[in-house]
Amino acid sequence: MDSQYIDHAMVLAGILFCLGLVGVMVRRNLLFMMISIEVMLNAAGLAFIAAGSAWGQPEGQIMFLAVITLGAAEVAVGLGLTLLLFRHHNSVNVDQLNQLRG
Amino acid sequence: MNWLALTSLMPLLLVASISVILLLLLAFIRDHKLTCWITCLGLAMAAFWAFADMGDAPQQVTPLLIMDDFSRLLGGTVLLVSLACGWMSYTYLETADEIREEYYILLSLAALGACVLVASNHFASMFIGLELMSVSLFAMVGYMAHSKQQANMTLEAGVKYMVLSGVSSSFLLFGVALIYAYAGNLNIDLLVAAEGPRLQSGYLVIGSALLLVGVAFKMSWIPFHMWTPDVYQGAPAPVTGFLAGAVKVAVFAFAMRWLMMAQGGYLDLLLLGLTVMAVLSMVVGNLLALRQNNLKRLLGYSSIAHMGYIIVTLAASATLGAAALSTALEAAAIYLITYASMTMLAFAVISQLAAQDRRFESGTLAHYQGLLYQQPLLAGALMLAMLALAGMPLTAGFIGKYYLVLVAVDSQLWLLLSLLVLGSSLGLYYYLRVILVLCKTPVGDSRLTLGASEKLLLTLLVAVTLWLGLYPTPAIQWVQLAIQ
Amino acid sequence: MTYGEELIRHIWPLALFLVMVGGLIVLMLTLPALLGGKRVSRAVNEPYECGIVPVGSTHFRMPIPFYLFAIFFVIFDLEVVFLFAWAVAVKETGWLGFTEALIFILILFAALIYLWRLGALDWRTSRQKLDLRNLDAR
Repeated sequence: MDSQYIDHAMVLAGILFCLGLVGVMVRRNLLFMMISIEVMLNAAGLAFIAAGSAWGQPEGQIMFLAVITLGAAEVAVGLGLTLLLFRHHNSVNVDQLNQLRG
Repeated sequence: MNWLALTSLMPLLLVASISVILLLLLAFIRDHKLTCWITCLGLAMAAFWAFADMGDAPQQVTPLLIMDDFSRLLGGTVLLVSLACGWMSYTYLETADEIREEYYILLSLAALGACVLVASNHFASMFIGLELMSVSLFAMVGYMAHSKQQANMTLEAGVKYMVLSGVSSSFLLFGVALIYAYAGNLNIDLLVAAEGPRLQSGYLVIGSALLLVGVAFKMSWIPFHMWTPDVYQGAPAPVTGFLAGAVKVAVFAFAMRWLMMAQGGYLDLLLLGLTVMAVLSMVVGNLLALRQNNLKRLLGYSSIAHMGYIIVTLAASATLGAAALSTALEAAAIYLITYASMTMLAFAVISQLAAQDRRFESGTLAHYQGLLYQQPLLAGALMLAMLALAGMPLTAGFIGKYYLVLVAVDSQLWLLLSLLVLGSSLGLYYYLRVILVLCKTPVGDSRLTLGASEKLLLTLLVAVTLWLGLYPTPAIQWVQLAIQ
Repeated sequence: MTYGEELIRHIWPLALFLVMVGGLIVLMLTLPALLGGKRVSRAVNEPYECGIVPVGSTHFRMPIPFYLFAIFFVIFDLEVVFLFAWAVAVKETGWLGFTEALIFILILFAALIYLWRLGALDWRTSRQKLDLRNLDAR
């Protein structure tokens, strides 16, 4: 891949990353916040793949594998927490989490 | 991989095997005491191995991990912190209405992640270590989710930690991806030596900034500290101890490897960011700590301030370069070790108190009123921890702060130095307030009991905190040995 | 070839694809309206209509085992990815790589044993488990 295309890929990854970040900040539903985090992680994964392909190295793809594994682990634990949250509050809105303050 | 490399990796392998052994054990036998013993013994053996190896030649184990004296010293520290955390968890979990044994699997995994993070000199292993630690910590922070008393707080803390940790990991990863796009190499040591800028160096600058944001989240440097007080307050007390002790040491060890050992000409922007975060953390952290009425929350803000102080060492190495490197490294390592010892002391006391009555960790400072007359040992240990955190002479905290001042003067960082002094004097006020509450006349006459193992743990932690303050020479020599 | 020309060369298949997709959608939406017969009744206008009136609400709680199985699948499925990465380089990594892959699989196996003994793979509802226990007791 030519270096001009890596710029395009990075811009795309940057846009995805920002979309995810905005999603985390705007959404109040825990499930959607987790999806947004997933989008951010995958944006980083895309950047890794683009960089790896620009340098002609496999490292980028290996890092992508590590990223999706992290994503799965995070979702597994996160969904568990979401489930417990739903059991306690009967909804997954994070605005209910307001006991800790000061 | 040869035999030598394998044996030098033994601390990590030991910790990893604890988690697998526990997994298999719990499939057949459920015994809280046995589980705790295995975890603590394994962690102690790993820590001993790490310290015993010190002085040996550095071993590069695969391109990912380096076992040099720096990793052994700080890895051993992290393991000892985890050991103290596992030890203090026993009584705490014993009084909890929650499944107990799985906690220790998570703890050993988190300890493994922290050790990998300390020993990594490759961005891939850094990432794996950091995430192993963080994902285990999500579950540990939200561990008491079925307990009647604690469910709401621990869940809230768990969710907050998970979301913000996820965001920070994404920042960190995106930063690493951009750095990789620039350097074509994921090796931290080779970051500087990367061949000429084939791609624009903008990638390096943006990437480093994003990576710094990710690190700042974990170190809870202001303005990336939002999660800290809530998570500190909501998490079970031993887990908060791990968050304050092991996580900070491990992440800062990575920051040292990245910013100090592998220096480059691109540090100017990062130095600016670091200075801003240091100023904010020292000032705002201390100011917000003044008005806290929950001890764990107060310690949360105090840890923000302490992590702000330690930025001085990073800033010093960035301003003076190689000349100040060894002094800065030495100061940072000593500060981390002293900070870990006094923080663990404070959280050990809180855990033992919370084991008897959960209001000690969730309620206001008023619960501590007159503790000195009801439980002199616990109150005395807490007083010592507060004095040490305030930086009083004859305690560990003084030695750490002394080194920071030394480094700041050496590299003429007058702004940071004056804020360090200002912050410490502000800190004195809220730490002394806690001591004052402990000394007031008690309201009730609730008797607290303390088992032999808890007494031993507290005695050990008190001894370490005093020893580092009274006779620090051996520890300093050890650190100097590790830095060279 | 200039940069712009090359860009166009790369992009035109994508543009064609988009046009074709759009065309197909328009076709699929207009043809039935033109050709199909129309019959008006209440059941036909229901979402997912096929002449049967849906029963009950879709807002009900799924049993936890569904979720657990999905998570186990995702986790174990992802671990296989690493085995693929090893399989590609199996010759180069030799016996060392084999040992490492073996340790990896054994750790996964330990996790599976743990899950199995914990009863996480038990597909029965808590009611059925209770019945089973009562049966054993008798």
